[in-house]
Parts: sequence; C-alpha cells; structure tokens
Amino acid sequence: MTEKQAPPPAREPKDRKKPKNEGWIRWWGLGAFVGLAVLLALLWLFLVDPFVKRMIEQTGTKLVGAKVELAAAHVTLSPLGLTLTRLQVTNPDEPMSNAVEAARIAMSLDGLNLFRRKVIIEEMAVEGLRFGTQRQSSGAVAPSREPGDAAKPAAKIPMPSFEVPDIKTVMATADLQSVKLAESLQADIKKAQDDWKKRLTELPDQRKLNDYKTRIEKLKSSAKGGLGGILGATGEVAAIQKDLEKDLEGIKNAKTDFDRQLADLKQRVDQAIKAPQEDVQRLQEKYRLSPQGLANMSGMLLGGKGGEWVRQGLAWYGKVQPMLAQAQVQPKGPEVVKPIRGKGVEVRFAEREPLPDFLIRTATVSAQLEAGDLNGKIENITPDQHILGKPLTFAFAGDKLKGVQSIRLDGAMNRVVPASPRDHAQVRARGYQVQSMSLSDSADWPVTLGKAVADADLQATVSGQALAGQATVGLQSVKLTAGKPDAANPVIKAIGGALSSVTGFTVKAELSGTVEQYDVHLTSDLDRVLKDAVGKQVQALADQFTKELQAAVMAKAGGPLNELKSSFSGLGGIGNELASRLTQGSLGSALPSNPAEKLLPEGLKLPF
Amino acid sequence: MMRMLARLLAVLNSETHPGQISLGFCFAMVAGFTPLMSLHNLLVLLLVLVIRVNLSAFLLGLPVWSGLAFGLDPLFHRVGLAVLTNGSLASLWTSLYNSTLWRLEHFNNSIVMGSLLVSLLAFAPLYVLSNLAIRRYRAHVLAWVEKTRVMQLLKASRFYSLYQSFSGMGGGL
Repeated sequence: MTEKQAPPPAREPKDRKKPKNEGWIRWWGLGAFVGLAVLLALLWLFLVDPFVKRMIEQTGTKLVGAKVELAAAHVTLSPLGLTLTRLQVTNPDEPMSNAVEAARIAMSLDGLNLFRRKVIIEEMAVEGLRFGTQRQSSGAVAPSREPGDAAKPAAKIPMPSFEVPDIKTVMATADLQSVKLAESLQADIKKAQDDWKKRLTELPDQRKLNDYKTRIEKLKSSAKGGLGGILGATGEVAAIQKDLEKDLEGIKNAKTDFDRQLADLKQRVDQAIKAPQEDVQRLQEKYRLSPQGLANMSGMLLGGKGGEWVRQGLAWYGKVQPMLAQAQVQPKGPEVVKPIRGKGVEVRFAEREPLPDFLIRTATVSAQLEAGDLNGKIENITPDQHILGKPLTFAFAGDKLKGVQSIRLDGAMNRVVPASPRDHAQVRARGYQVQSMSLSDSADWPVTLGKAVADADLQATVSGQALAGQATVGLQSVKLTAGKPDAANPVIKAIGGALSSVTGFTVKAELSGTVEQYDVHLTSDLDRVLKDAVGKQVQALADQFTKELQAAVMAKAGGPLNELKSSFSGLGGIGNELASRLTQGSLGSALPSNPAEKLLPEGLKLPF
Repeated sequence: MMRMLARLLAVLNSETHPGQISLGFCFAMVAGFTPLMSLHNLLVLLLVLVIRVNLSAFLLGLPVWSGLAFGLDPLFHRVGLAVLTNGSLASLWTSLYNSTLWRLEHFNNSIVMGSLLVSLLAFAPLYVLSNLAIRRYRAHVLAWVEKTRVMQLLKASRFYSLYQSFSGMGGGL
C-alpha cells in the first residue's frame, strides 16, 4: 500500500513563511515624520516669500483690472509679519501710469487668527506712497477699455455773449412756438365751428319753436267750444308740452357743451396771445444776453474747475468703495456661503468674539505728494464693518508744504449698518498758493486766475446715493485777468477792468444730487462786483436786443394771432344763436302745471 | 496599470501581515476621500509612518481612493451639508467653529465633513473585509497566481527583489 501523499494545507501554502510579527510600532517612522515635517517647514520658508508675492500680484491684478506688481515680499515668523517692497498698482484707465505706488509696506499679523482663516493686521505702515507715477511698461491686462467718467473732460460752461446778435440770423433759426400754437389753435377753432354749425341744424330751430306757439293758440280757440272741448284739448296740450320740454333740453345741453368748449378755447387763445413774449424770453436766454448772466458769472467762471474737482473726488471715492463693499450681513443661524463646484460649501456659525475675515486695525500712511509729505492714519479697514461694529476713519495732515501752508483731511466711511451707509469727509486747507489757473479757455473770453492765496473749508457727505456738501473758499491777494486787452466790445472791456481790480473774493459752493448725477451751485461776491461794474451796460444791450426781438417775433406771429382772434370771435355767433333759441323756447313753454287751466276762460278754475 | 497590478500582487504575495495591508488601504481611504491638504491628513501620515502599516498598500490605495472621491464628491457634499446644518448639532459645531484647531481642520466645509465622516464610518468595515479578502486570497488564489507567467516575470524583476529586500528589513513597506 502506497501511502497517499497528504494534500497541501488549504489555508497556508507549504512553502510560505508565516507573516512576520515585529510589533505594531515603527519607531523609525516617527523619525521619518519629523524629518518630513522639517523638510516641509524648510520648503515653506524658502517658498513662502515668492508664493505670497505671486498671490498678492494675482489677487490685486484681478481686483484692479490692471497689473499689480511687487518688487519683493518677505514673511517673518517672529513676530509674524509681512513686508512688501515697491508695490505698484496700475491705473486701469491709464496703463502707462500707476494709480498708487508704495515704496514699503510693513505689517504685523495676528497669527492665531490667521489659522482661523482671518487676516487681522494689527498695524500697517505704508511708506513712500505716491500717486500717478510713470510706469516703464504698460500695466494693462485686457484690451484698453472705454475711459470712465474720471477721464472724460469737464463739460464746458458757455460764457455769456456781450454782443447784440444779428436779429435776422436769430429769427432765421428760431423755432417760434407762438406761430405753431396759433396755427394749431386756428385749425381747432375751425373744426369746432364746423361741428357746431352741423349740430345747430340738428337742433330745433326758430320755425319749429314758433310752431309750438301756433299749435297752443289754436287749441285755445278750440277750447272755447265748451267744457267738452276743453277736456279734449287737455291731452294734446300735455303732448305739446312734453315735446317742447324735450327740445328745450336738447338746446340746453348743446349750450352747456358749447360754453365748456368755448371756455377751453378761450384759455388756449389767451396762452397763444402770451406765447410771443415767451418766445422772446427763450431767445434771450439762448443768446445769454441778460444782466442775470452776470449774477451767475462766478458759477460760469469757477463752475468748470469746481465740477472737475468734484468729479475727481468722486472718482477716487468710487475706487475706494469696492474695498468696503460687503456682500451679505451675517445671519444669526448657520450661514451657507456660496457653493463652489467640487469644493463644497462653507457653513458659518456664530463666533463668540466675531471678527471680520479681513481687518487692518491701524494703517499709518506717509504719502509723498509733489507739494511735500502728507502723513495720516486710517483705522478699521475691513469689508465687514457690521461685524466689527466700527466705521473706517481716516485723518491726514500736512504742514508747510510747497504751495500750501497746511492741509487737514479727515472723515469716515460708515458701513456699520450696511443698509444705510453714510460717508463723510472734510478738508481744511490754509494758505494755498494759486498760480496761473485758467478759469475759461474761451478764445474770445479767456479768464485766468494769475495768483491768489486761498483758505478752503470743504465738507461732503454721501448717504446711500445722496450727495450733499458745502465748501467755502476765501481768496486773497488775487490777480485776475479776463478778456483780451484789444477787445472792441465795451462790456468785455469793462468786465476785464472790473476783474483786474478785484483783490479778494469768497466763493461758496453747495453740492447736491446723487453720486451719479450731482449738481454744484456756486455763489460768490464776485457777482456783485461785476454787476456793479457792467450791469447797466449789459442791461442797455439786453433792452436793445429785447426790443428788436419783440418786434421780429410779433412780425412773424402777429398774422396768425390776428387770424386766430378773428376765428375765435366767430364762435360768438353760434353762442348767440343757441341763446336765442333757448329764450324763444322758454317763452313757449310757460304753460301751467295743469294744461287744462290754460284753456279755461279767465276767472274759471277747475275743481280738481 | 500593469505597474500598479504588479505592485498590488507584490504586496499581497509578500509576507506582510494582512492587518498591516488592510490598515494601509484604510488609511489611504481616509486620505484619498478627504481633501489632501486637510489637517487630519497630517495625523493620518503620522499614524501610517509610526504604526506598522504597509506603506505600499497606503501608497497604492491613495490614488485609487482619490480617484473614487471625484465621483463621490456630490455624495460627500450632501452628507456634510446635512450634518453641518442639523439643528441638534448646531451647538457642537458652534463650539468647534470657535476653536482655532478645528477651524484649521476646515471641518465646516461640506466636502471635508462629508468625506471624513464617510471614510471614518467605512474604516472598520473596510479593515475587516480587507483582512478577510487577503486571507482568502492567500489561501485560495495565491498558489495559482505564483505560477502565472505574470508573477514569474514579476519575481524576476528588479522591482520585486528590491521590494522583498526592503520588506525583509521589517519595514512593512
């Protein structure tokens, strides 16, 4: 018997060794982990600076829409901080210049909050801040866009003309409303006349009304035949009375309609009669020859500059706005933030000590302007003011600058209640030296503020979209030149003389409207000076122009107006006719309440 | 693909304890399902290195589970969002939200929460099932696999000898 070879074990192959059991802890693994961690830390140390630099450049470029460049970024661990060297932010409207350039920005960060994904910058120092510096290469990242409002030139305010315009030229291009009105009204009156003539034929005429009288007389004579005749005629009298009353009602209604239409047409005729005078006033304003023009002269002279400054200020305000734009107010319960495909959503919960995701508590800024250094402090820069509960505030000051004795700028941008934002700023400048400021570059009427020393107080508030502001600028040691020395026009000459003798004046400005559509209203004691100097001469010119204009307008509108009056008076005939028919009908209708009594002989009364 | 298969065979056919291989797969699932740059994956890495887990199984499993995670992300998102917005757990999440460590963990992200929860719940069952599968494989299939041409080629390769030598060092690679 051969021994059967035992089959190999089902669970373990014969030649297979048992798994090694060397314990569950691998001590060298701990060393490897520490080594890996050290390696990662070293890599981080070497790569963090270029990584931060790249991140700032990329994020900044995306936000601004033009290149944001950094020369270097350096992260320090103890204390945790970041230093940026030569930050350049391209002006998206002018890619060859920087909107802002900072030589050095150093900041200290709250490390613990950084782990909580909150960038809390306790202190930031911005040194060597400059505006509008030239770039060596274009900072555009996209095809050049349409220049914004800030780049658009200021709308020029036309200066008043002190020449009497040629009346023939004025009338050749004038679109006289009085003529149009008279012609249109004339057509309406004609139509009304035709309509009423037609309606008169449809109403009971004199003949029909006389008929009623005849029929009543006839009945009276037939009633004299006795009581039976009287009673027989009673029914007929009642029928006549009913017909007559119906006809009279028709005439009355027509008279009422006519009177109403007549009153309406009369009102329009009165307007048409006044229209030539309105045309004269409109043309006077168009050619700006009035003493009132002088009353607003400072608005014309300084309005352009004022508007330009307001526009520049609002353009900067518009650039700062997105930094504070907060998307949503955090609700009390868990908040699900925007879903990102493949990345999940962030669910936010209430924080015990709520802090914004981004906050710069204090930023000290040193700006290098052409005039000199302007130093200041900005506090609470965050897009989440409602979480912080404090508004952004800023205060800048500069003394003994080139061309300005002192300047103070302070204000706040308040978004603590996001639904009702309120921002305000005030500027106080003393001893601002004005040099060769062109107020009007009109070829016929150049006005230049050659020299002046200005003290200015400005304040502006933006509540939601509503804009309000006041400014008072006092100018001393003024040297103004206006018009050309060889100007032939005596008025322009007089204005030039009056302006050159001005040594000081005050300008007050009122800003109103909205951020998109604002209005600057300027007043100045310069207006009084000008009015005193040349008011009479301008008035004489204006009177002459008005006289010529009135004559020319009346010559053109007089004919249609006369025709209009004549047509309107023609309507009177229709009114008279209606009144006459009504009178005649009323006489015929003077019947007693009981028609039978009309037919009884005098002295007799019916018992019922 | 062939390279991965070869590596898988090398791991399964090695003398490594099935538990070490299973743990490698399980840890790979946690790291693969959840976003790689999460704080908890640092702990996973520490455990993988310190506990005698089969590193090859971990490294082999990581891309596989990561690939699966792309398809499972919508499920993770739904699970995570449901858990995070559950009213009865709000106080727990609020207290975690106020902790720096947990904020760093990014637990309040729906995919982090969902994938971590799913992978932790699947950890123990996967470990048991994987252990069982490896034992069965070694008992019933290994002998046949050893004789296949693929395995013969693999055994003759430099990679296998290298793997065996490192494995023999007790590293559990």
